[in-house]
Amino acid sequence: MDGALLEILPSIILEGLLVGSVYAMIALGYTMVYGVLGLINFAHSEVFMIGAVTGVEVFRYLSPHIENPFTLLVVAIVTAGFVSGATAVTIERLAYRPLRRRGYTNRLVPLITAIGISFFLQDLVRLIEGLWHGEFYMNYPSHAELEHTLVLPLDMTLQVKGLITIVVTLLMLAGLWFLVKRTRLGKAIRAVAQDATTASLMGVNPDSIIARTFFIGGFLGGVAGVLFGVLYTQVNPFCGFIPGIKAFTAAVLGGIGSIPGAMIGGVILGQLETLGGFYLPFFTNGAVGTEYKDVFGFVILVLLLLCRPQGIFGKAQKDKV
Amino acid sequence: MNRASVQSFLYPLLTLASVGLLWIFPDTTILLVPVLGILFAGTLIRLHRWSRWSSMAFVLLIGIPVAGLENSFLFELFIQIGIYAALALGLNIVVGMAGLLDLGYAAFFAIGAYTWAIFGSPQANQFIEGGHFPLPGWPYFYLFMALAVITAALVGVLIGLPALRLRGDYLAIVTLGLGEVVRVLANNLDHPVNITNGPKGISPVERPPVDWILAITDRLGLTLQTNHAVALFFYGLVLVVMLAIVLINRRLDRSRFGRAWVAIREDEIAARSMGIPLLRTKVLAFATGAAFSGVMGAIFSAKQLFVSPESFTLLQSITILAMVILGGMGSIQGALLGAAAVTLLNIEVLKSLSEGLNHLRQTGFVLDLGFIKYNFANLSSQLEPAKYERMIFGLIMVLMMIFRPAGLIPETRHKLELEARRKGKAS
Amino acid sequence: MSLVIRDITKRFGGLVAVDGVNLEVQRGEIFSVIGPNGAGKTSLFNVLTGVYRPDCGTITWEGRRISRLAPESIARRGVARTFQNIRLFGAMTVFENVLVAQHSHASYSYLDAMFRTRRFHRQEHRIARKVMDLLDYFGFAEKAEELARNLPYGDQRRLEIARALALEPRLLLLDEPAAGMNPKETDVLRDFIRTIRDDFSLTILLIEHHMNMVMSLSDRVAVLDYGRKIAEGQPAEIRRNPAVIEAYLGASAIGAVTTDA
Repeated sequence: MDGALLEILPSIILEGLLVGSVYAMIALGYTMVYGVLGLINFAHSEVFMIGAVTGVEVFRYLSPHIENPFTLLVVAIVTAGFVSGATAVTIERLAYRPLRRRGYTNRLVPLITAIGISFFLQDLVRLIEGLWHGEFYMNYPSHAELEHTLVLPLDMTLQVKGLITIVVTLLMLAGLWFLVKRTRLGKAIRAVAQDATTASLMGVNPDSIIARTFFIGGFLGGVAGVLFGVLYTQVNPFCGFIPGIKAFTAAVLGGIGSIPGAMIGGVILGQLETLGGFYLPFFTNGAVGTEYKDVFGFVILVLLLLCRPQGIFGKAQKDKV
Repeated sequence: MNRASVQSFLYPLLTLASVGLLWIFPDTTILLVPVLGILFAGTLIRLHRWSRWSSMAFVLLIGIPVAGLENSFLFELFIQIGIYAALALGLNIVVGMAGLLDLGYAAFFAIGAYTWAIFGSPQANQFIEGGHFPLPGWPYFYLFMALAVITAALVGVLIGLPALRLRGDYLAIVTLGLGEVVRVLANNLDHPVNITNGPKGISPVERPPVDWILAITDRLGLTLQTNHAVALFFYGLVLVVMLAIVLINRRLDRSRFGRAWVAIREDEIAARSMGIPLLRTKVLAFATGAAFSGVMGAIFSAKQLFVSPESFTLLQSITILAMVILGGMGSIQGALLGAAAVTLLNIEVLKSLSEGLNHLRQTGFVLDLGFIKYNFANLSSQLEPAKYERMIFGLIMVLMMIFRPAGLIPETRHKLELEARRKGKAS
Repeated sequence: MSLVIRDITKRFGGLVAVDGVNLEVQRGEIFSVIGPNGAGKTSLFNVLTGVYRPDCGTITWEGRRISRLAPESIARRGVARTFQNIRLFGAMTVFENVLVAQHSHASYSYLDAMFRTRRFHRQEHRIARKVMDLLDYFGFAEKAEELARNLPYGDQRRLEIARALALEPRLLLLDEPAAGMNPKETDVLRDFIRTIRDDFSLTILLIEHHMNMVMSLSDRVAVLDYGRKIAEGQPAEIRRNPAVIEAYLGASAIGAVTTDA
């Protein structure tokens, strides 16, 4: 490897950390729902997308009223968090809960429902945006203050919005940690995750705990959506799919169902992807270029599931007989 | 007279009436719906054998072809339905019978399509010296149909062997990933060696010659235009392949392999404890589904003359899944009904709706109900039902799962073995 | 000696479900495994049938090692089982449920099935006939076309046994076949188990909680507690064994075991 490639390494690692934080926050939504319901909530990628779109709308409508882009960003993050959280709860209420109530013999039923919701939401957002603004490809407006580049040691550069991403992610993760480990709600969530029936006998209402879990997961997804939008500027109703798959990969990487696992999985995946995406073309003389960047995530997922489906930290599970 | 006899008498009359309507108004495409509806009813109600088979044969061999020569869009529609029906039947084996959620099923369709498209067009000259390509449609197209079956099945086995070891929900996401990988490969394998021609796609793809059809119709004193003969040819080809697939599907369903598929869907551990080899049974289902998809892929590429990665997206896989779910997982008639309903919805109903709205929009039609007044000229051009397939398929899937998870025509476990056994005991 | 279990241990995380168990079962014997809930009986069955891999130890059946084989391979060596929580194929008919177990007794290929060759017809007839005979034996002939999930509970339990017998096993593992049955039904079942042992020349390994049934049916009994074998012998010996009585009811209740537990 020549020197130039090595010199740029710290910046790439930093970039990976940014992407990784976004993945980690989405991954938490997958992992928490999986924890309480044992369900891969395919629709979570759309909850994320709705957060990103909400963020655009906040910027669009409040820009004339709020001068300071930082205030604007905070408002956008909080709004998107609530909208996404509400979306997640609505999905749970309208689709998953009726299924749970009824009970099903075919174990594909909840999975197919989740996929259906995911597709429905993509077009629903497209329809709403289309009718509202006449188009559904959106851009986050650029603000000089957010784009400002900071120079760090080791020649690393970081835009202010990148710094904000890292700070917000850390805040969110700390908040979540506190919530899960130190509050009654957290205890109830962990109880339902272990055994919903027993938890309900102990006076925990599983339905309300499940709904709150969806809200928390959705909130984090919405926040991630805004950060993603601010980082990469372009947003559309279909933009949740790829980050969704990657975040799911991150969740599996850390052991699905495990909250710290999702965080670490996100960061590791972010690193693998940016490093791979940057260095692979050099090693393969351009035969495998950045066009395979998204496939890279899939390949990691496939290999991971085949070799170590319980994740790096997870323990092997066995069906009960 | 008992009920079956009455029905057996009425059924051909209804068939004749519906076909007659279509013949009188061949340009009213929607009249295909009652014809297909009666065709389906024939597979579900109790009928004497002569009544069922003669009526169905009449519709498929005479009714639709005669109308189709008047309005070739009918052929087009039926070909689409037939292709999707075969795909739905293939996916039905994987998802419906064996209970393996495959979200990358369109990949096998792509493999079949590219198998013929690459060699049935000048494309293969890009990486094989000598200018041998395109291969002529006769006899190579038919050879490549077989080859597409084998290639798709082999890829199914190769993907299946590792992937099918996974739990159900992980399998769904891995097949989704692999489906995307195939599409991205098709998109990018124009370098370093140009195999798929990338996003531009491959065209023109050779078609098998149809002069023999023209020769036959000449003999019969009909003069047929070439494009009509081509449409008739693909109608016949799709019909034959689809019926073959239905037959194979039925036979496998009623064999130890079909029973093994359903058994592992119902309870993997119990099935294994009864001596059913888990992985082999799953891979067999996967490869069978892939093979059905592969052969229709080859036909699709010849019919379209053009193949590009656009045709093999996740949306395509989901469309086929929606058909299986709408019709009823595990049910052969369900898969056929689902394919017909979704295809008609997709390329007929939604398109007509879009056109209708466009018309109202352009003419500035004003809806006046007294209390509400709306000028369609103000209607956003975004509101085009034909473009919202995702919403419609998503809604179909969710609503079916919540209100009717067994589908419109639920799977019925059959009684053939019992009949076989009675015969066995009597002899 | 037809079934030999040597030092079988199975752990789940920190929990030792089966702890160094040794058993030897004679051909044609009805051998019962009893023990309190959570004693590791079902785990032992799951190790025996290949659902779990043992952490150590070996199992031989008819002189060949079967431990660490896949469940389907063990089934093909003539070991069939029923499940504590009934695991029928609910969406299949009674007839098909039993027919599934004949899967490995037909050898026609995929292509035979596709082209409906003579071989296919011959074998399908043969296995369908065997299954019908079995259904007649169980009195299920009239219910052959009903879906398994629509059967009443008692029939579902018996259908599981019929399905297991369709595998044509030489060793039959019954996991609490009398669960949920009243004393009268239990008596019928007891006689029935003895009859099938004789009619199908089986060796039977039984897990059961109904103590009366175990004591009157078994040739020998082994007792598990916390994954360990704490006693083994003829029913009369087990009844008197203080360790067994303690494991079941605590030391104070000596004598109570003879009544239905």
